Amino acid sequence: MSNIQQLERRLERERQARKAAEAIAEEKTRAIYEANVSLQQLNNRLEELVEQRTAELAAARDEAVRASKAKSDFLASMSHELRTPLNAIIGYSEILLDESEDQVQPQVRPDLEKIRGAGRHLLGLINDILDLSKIEAGKMDLFLETFDVAALLDDVQATVRPLMAENGNTFALHRETQLGMLRSDQTKVRQILLNLVSNAAKFTKDGQITLAARRTRLGAGYGVEFEVSDRGIGMTPEQLSRLFQPFSQADASTTRKYGGTGLGLAITRHFCRILGGDVTVASEFGEGSTFNVIVPDNDSNAAIAAPQPVWEQRVVGTVLVVEDGREGAKSLAEPLTQEGYRVIAAAAGADGLRLAREQKPDAIILDVVNPEFDGWTILRLLKTDAELCDIPVILVTVLGDRDMGFALGAAEHLTKPINPKELLRLLARVQRPEITPDVLIVDDDQSTRGMLRRMLVKEGWRVREAANGAEGLEQLARAVPAVMLLDLIMPEVDGFEVLRAVRQTAAWRDIPVVIVTSKDLSRDELEWLRGHAMDVFQKGAYSRAELIAAVRAMVDAARLASSRTVPTDRGEGKDVA
Amino acid sequence: MKGIVFTEFLEMVEREFSPEIADRLLVGTELASCGIYTSVGTYDHAEMIVLVSRLSRETGIDSHDLMMAFGEYLFRRFKILYPKYFERMNSSFAFLTRIEDYIHVEVHKLYPEAELPTFTYDVPQPGRLVLTYQSTRPFASLAEGLIRGCLAHFGEDADIQVEDLSDGAGTAARFVITQRDTLRE
Ligand SMILES: Nc1ncnc2c1ncn2[C@@H]1O[C@H](COP(=O)(O)OP(=O)(O)O)[C@@H](O)[C@H]1O
Ligand SMILES: [Mg+2]
Repeated sequence: MSNIQQLERRLERERQARKAAEAIAEEKTRAIYEANVSLQQLNNRLEELVEQRTAELAAARDEAVRASKAKSDFLASMSHELRTPLNAIIGYSEILLDESEDQVQPQVRPDLEKIRGAGRHLLGLINDILDLSKIEAGKMDLFLETFDVAALLDDVQATVRPLMAENGNTFALHRETQLGMLRSDQTKVRQILLNLVSNAAKFTKDGQITLAARRTRLGAGYGVEFEVSDRGIGMTPEQLSRLFQPFSQADASTTRKYGGTGLGLAITRHFCRILGGDVTVASEFGEGSTFNVIVPDNDSNAAIAAPQPVWEQRVVGTVLVVEDGREGAKSLAEPLTQEGYRVIAAAAGADGLRLAREQKPDAIILDVVNPEFDGWTILRLLKTDAELCDIPVILVTVLGDRDMGFALGAAEHLTKPINPKELLRLLARVQRPEITPDVLIVDDDQSTRGMLRRMLVKEGWRVREAANGAEGLEQLARAVPAVMLLDLIMPEVDGFEVLRAVRQTAAWRDIPVVIVTSKDLSRDELEWLRGHAMDVFQKGAYSRAELIAAVRAMVDAARLASSRTVPTDRGEGKDVA
Repeated sequence: MKGIVFTEFLEMVEREFSPEIADRLLVGTELASCGIYTSVGTYDHAEMIVLVSRLSRETGIDSHDLMMAFGEYLFRRFKILYPKYFERMNSSFAFLTRIEDYIHVEVHKLYPEAELPTFTYDVPQPGRLVLTYQSTRPFASLAEGLIRGCLAHFGEDADIQVEDLSDGAGTAARFVITQRDTLRE
């Protein structure tokens, strides 16, 4: 039957079609399997590639880090190498200038001033270039601290005063009474202001330069706005447009006439921006310029001007002046009061003894020049009284009486007319002889040591030296100094290790340590140092007077501390260097 | 040509004419496939032309009309077999204008070797679509049938003007599709 044949054919076709479909399905399955396999391989290869590429990138990154580290190491060591001798040059020229003042050779003064000026200029230039390269390398660290804005302004004023005289300018400081504290990088704010004020002084003749400061609201927070204005040469719009670029000065004649490098404003702007603020300028050619700086306060809790802390007037000690009353105690008292001593005066021997008993002064100054006023008797009575015999006595004598004075137990003697400096020096010596200000200098650079020694010796302090960290530790073991000046970069045992050892040793823990370094400090280092040392003098940016003042403050503090804890054993150890 | 076109064609012949006619189309030696088709296979498009001309001989109906009728039928089947392509398509113009950049793209993903015609389009005025068919194979009539099937699927009434662009070869044609309500205006 054709119908059946037809159905059979149809069945056969369907069967064949099914087989063909199965074959296709199988082939597709294999294709899919193979696709998966090659996908897997691709994936593995991809992982391999990624791994390889990651390794290459890591190597490139390590290389870049190494290169950048090498660069910053180079900068740091170069800054150290350059600053160390420069500090010595500047320091020695200051010493020589000082000596030429008291003594002979006034004719060398101008030359010395030139040396000091050139040295400072060079140091400034090196610092500027280093700052700029650090900024460009993104390595300018920020060191936030909370500081008193008014004190900073006083400091800036003191620093720029000599600059003002050069061009016959005057300097005016306008500040709000309630400037309060600012949390920012004090060193950078100071440098910003110094750059602007020194520019104003440089480009102004016989005019007034004004530095104004006020606390201001900045968005949700606060900040301080500084304004430096002058009535100097001013700038054209064209000159203004190039301002704040590195090495840009108004024109070539500026360099000839005023010197400079054109780095100051570039750094100033970078600093302002690093601090989160900015600097702007308004100027008219021939009329003058006004630079405006905004520095935000990083203290989130800060509000308008918390009242300034009132610093307690520190009393260094009490001095009893026993004197015949003819000249009055005033001439003696004045330099003493200025230095922070409390002065009690007695015009008669009996009063003197009574006051000595009541007040227990730290020292007594006794006038034995006037024969009618029986100073010798008083001295004898003081030295035979068990309660009073430990109080050191400085005699004001005529020359020949010196030996008799010492025989009777006087600690020191002075002759009239009295030199106030000498008086203070002796007083400092006799007051706490057991801690005769003894400063230990630890520095591997011999000329730096020599320079510091001379500075300190001039102040009447005894100095010990150590040429490296290991020697420094030996010196500490021998005797505890009143203050230690410590360099950081030294062979073998460096300053950081010395400082660590000092702070970990009970007997040394309280020694005030002043870091004097030309190392370019990172923020971490600076932070660590400020936590472990009393003061850090960095970059050679300090003057001799600042260093001396800091050391003096520490010596005084040490004295005060020991007067509280060691009330007895006065009058010993007169071995003053 | 994809096997689905053949299997659907034969099913249509069985249904619309008779299993006997379908059987007669396949008996003989000219077909390389021996008339064995599976929807997942691929076959020479010439076999489709042979099948249609045999059907024409069997039925006395013009090949062109048969091909067009098959196109209309095939479109209905597409709706059932591949509903995915109809998602979010709410008009014939929407569908026809997406053949090239959507449907053919999807087909290519499954059958990379498939040789598909191209459909370019133009909308010269609202309510009018000019669709141009271009192929290496002579299936303009099938395309016309598909277009008609599409209009029917969306329940639209339109006028279709066909212009052959291949000197009667049927490999290229322009279809000017104009919606009726647009015409009436
Ligand atoms: N207060 C000012 N008055 C006029 N010109 C100024 C003032 N401050 C800066 N300038 C101009 O900007 C230039 C760049 O200043 P600065 O970066 O501090 O470099 P420098 O002081 O080394 O020249 C100066 O050379 C000067 O031309
Ligand atoms: Mg400058």
